[in-house]
Amino acid sequence: MTKRKSLLMLTGIFITATVVAILTSGAQGVKDVASDSPEVRADVIMIDVLKNFRELEQPPVVFLHDLHTNALVEQNKDCASCHLSEKDLQSPKFKRLTDTSRQEVMDTYHTGCMQCHQEMETAGVKAGPVEKCGDCHHGKPEVVSERQLIVFDKSLHYRHTERTEDKCERCHHQYNEVTKQLFYDKGKEGACVYCHKQQLEENRISIKQASHLSCIACHRKTLAENKEVTPDEDSREKIAGPIQCSGCHAEQKLQLIKKVEDAPGMKRNQPDVALIQPAKIDLDNPNLAPIVVMNPVPFDHKTHQEHNDTCIVCHHASLDKTCSECHTLGGAKDGKFVKLEQAMHQIDSEQSCFGCHTKKQQKPSCAGCHSLLAKGRKQEAAFCAQCHMEPPQAGIGANLEPQAMASMLLRSRTSTPYTYTDEDIPEAVTIEDLEEQYEPVYFPHRKIVRTLLAETKDDKLAQYFHRQKETVCQACHHNSPAAKKPPRCYSCHGKPFDAKEPLRPGMKGAYHQQCFGCHKQMGIKKPDPLNCMECHQEKKKQVATK
Amino acid sequence: MSISRRRFLGWLTTAGLSGSAFGKVAHAATTKHFEGYPESLGVLYDNTRCIGCRTCEAACNKVNDLPPPGRPFDDLSVLDNRRRTDAGKYMVINKYDRLAKVKDPLFARTGCNHCLEPACASSCFVRAYTKTESGAVTYDSSVCVGCRYCMIACPFNIPTFEYNKVLSPRVMKCTMCYDTRLVKGQLPGCVEACPTESFSFGKRKDLLKMARERIGRFPDRYVDHVYGESEMGGTSWLYLSGVPFRQIEMREDLGVTPAPALTSSALASVPMVVGTWPLLLMGIYAVSKRKEKIAKEEQEQAVAQVLAQAKAETDKKISEAWQKAAKDKDKAVEAAVKKALEAAAETQTEENY
Repeated sequence: MTKRKSLLMLTGIFITATVVAILTSGAQGVKDVASDSPEVRADVIMIDVLKNFRELEQPPVVFLHDLHTNALVEQNKDCASCHLSEKDLQSPKFKRLTDTSRQEVMDTYHTGCMQCHQEMETAGVKAGPVEKCGDCHHGKPEVVSERQLIVFDKSLHYRHTERTEDKCERCHHQYNEVTKQLFYDKGKEGACVYCHKQQLEENRISIKQASHLSCIACHRKTLAENKEVTPDEDSREKIAGPIQCSGCHAEQKLQLIKKVEDAPGMKRNQPDVALIQPAKIDLDNPNLAPIVVMNPVPFDHKTHQEHNDTCIVCHHASLDKTCSECHTLGGAKDGKFVKLEQAMHQIDSEQSCFGCHTKKQQKPSCAGCHSLLAKGRKQEAAFCAQCHMEPPQAGIGANLEPQAMASMLLRSRTSTPYTYTDEDIPEAVTIEDLEEQYEPVYFPHRKIVRTLLAETKDDKLAQYFHRQKETVCQACHHNSPAAKKPPRCYSCHGKPFDAKEPLRPGMKGAYHQQCFGCHKQMGIKKPDPLNCMECHQEKKKQVATK
Repeated sequence: MSISRRRFLGWLTTAGLSGSAFGKVAHAATTKHFEGYPESLGVLYDNTRCIGCRTCEAACNKVNDLPPPGRPFDDLSVLDNRRRTDAGKYMVINKYDRLAKVKDPLFARTGCNHCLEPACASSCFVRAYTKTESGAVTYDSSVCVGCRYCMIACPFNIPTFEYNKVLSPRVMKCTMCYDTRLVKGQLPGCVEACPTESFSFGKRKDLLKMARERIGRFPDRYVDHVYGESEMGGTSWLYLSGVPFRQIEMREDLGVTPAPALTSSALASVPMVVGTWPLLLMGIYAVSKRKEKIAKEEQEQAVAQVLAQAKAETDKKISEAWQKAAKDKDKAVEAAVKKALEAAAETQTEENY
């Protein structure tokens, strides 16, 4: 009897111990997930190519490209371990040139990946998964994928032309339809995206494929050439350009790319000035001179080049055609029926004059006033005349060539911002309209005007378009004709929610919206809108009279 | 009586068929879309103007004689926590920072939206709620029985209850300052107090126009949607926002059907159910009862028949047995007599020897 009891007790102890052991080992395995945020990477590739054949049976594989490149480098292997080449061009696909069939592609991955992982494991190196399907096919990246697109701006272009000693043909090419070969056509260089679109089109590979093939191939070649010169990997890559995903797609790496501040423009014989002349061609007599329908716009191409990073900001389809060739006055198929007027004035388009200029107004020094102005409001005729200048009809300059005319018109433009003299600008305004709760507010009027002018002092765009004396005044003194003595605020704003003028704020709303709105846009933290006392003073208690 | 599964299903089907046939007619009578009282008032809250100063909350508290707050209204750290209306707050402002693509925090006002066809009013069986022609949804505590159905019905989770009052707890919610200010020609407390005119007051139709106009003038500033224009059939409070409304936790899944319309078909079938179901069910009951009665009678008859048959058989058997017994008895007597006679004869012969 006693023997049986002790046996039971022993079993009990054993079971308890096992349970405790299992539980604690589980607890040790749990990582503190909440404390460390997931790693942000630019090299996350989801391998889901099989979905092109039919629905996926397994979750896609999360593949970290840079992790694999680094592992290969450590083993003195190179890209050819995974990427096959055809005619000196490395395929971006894994161990194949084309996607033949589902089974074949699947087998390529399974044998290719597993073979290498297993080899590494037998060699005792840290290897990727070899056992369970779910180790690769888990479909849940443990990292956050954040891929930025690199902008090949003029600084980067300049650095490339400098290195290649102006050998444009290293990158730029055209395609000969007859011989089916690439060739270089001097003076016809354009941006890659003119031909290489987002997707594969006929025989033109996508921009993604084109950039990866060409850029990386050249960088690798240069890297190999510099093997003896700089034995250090990092400095070599700095000379040769990035090869890994992160080099072009990780934000922090992009910020490290050296920027040539005053990089000269592309050398493509582009004009410094141009005369944009809205003209109509007589369709019955196309040989006749075009009929000029509007005052021309002298366009300072050089300045615009200086203020933009790429040509495609404006020249979105080609460098060889003028805007009006596709965007005709009446709209044409080549220009996707965007009329010339729309191409220049569409406010939503970043390629149009208006669109780009509106975007420039979003920087803090401009946004204070401009964010308060309604979008697409009707402009006065004088506004149009700022760009569309009347050419001299007779006398000096009447019969000039377009370019010379443009230069002359541009020279005639004044661009000094000036406003009224100090005597004409009231130094301070005392706002007494909200006296119920607070003392009148001291408003440093002249100081604000001067600050606004100082903010835009170095801005050529602002300087040109703020040419009238009253222009800067008009952000606050809005909706009334520009004048030296504009109406006082209370002329229009009074009690709120006037049914006759529903959009017009009341006095209190108008002041606060205007002040807070501008300060917020300009990033002015003081006075704090949440602390009334920074502008207002508590009303003094009136002395009770008997 | 026990009900078989088959029979129960049969009842249900009958009831369902009759219900749907009547219900359709009833629902058709209520599909007229109510677009609100034509001149009704409303408030438009524009969160791109709001600076989160809580002046509106303070004013609301003051004009509605609400209990003093736990922390003063100028303590803006209150905004760090997500809040909702309670018995002491008709409205709250919540702060949303860390919004995608927006640098500065944005705010949202939570409070009664004064639906054009309020769910609270349709759920209230004592008619404590009234949608006034002014647009305000008012509440009459004198008739309220405290069932709190309104709190469950409200899709915006607005009405709250004075749980701390033992004797006469009320449901608490914004009344658009109807009794206290609107009837006197004054603006609602929050609207008047706001320094930036984040709240615009006016006729609902004008506010809608104004909201559209603002979106048109500043397309980059607003999301192209006026919240409350059609949500739950439309509300008297309207909202403009700089970010999609779900990001400031305003429900986008409510649909455009007013709450009463959602329940009208079900509620319309109530008279039908009350009127016809008892008759129907009683009829079914009577029929089944009669069936049972007949079955019982038949059974009794059968039993009686069987019993009679059995009795007859037994009687026959008994009489046969009796006859046989009598016969046996006679035989035995005869045999005994015979035996006795033989014995007597024998004795006589012996004596004669």
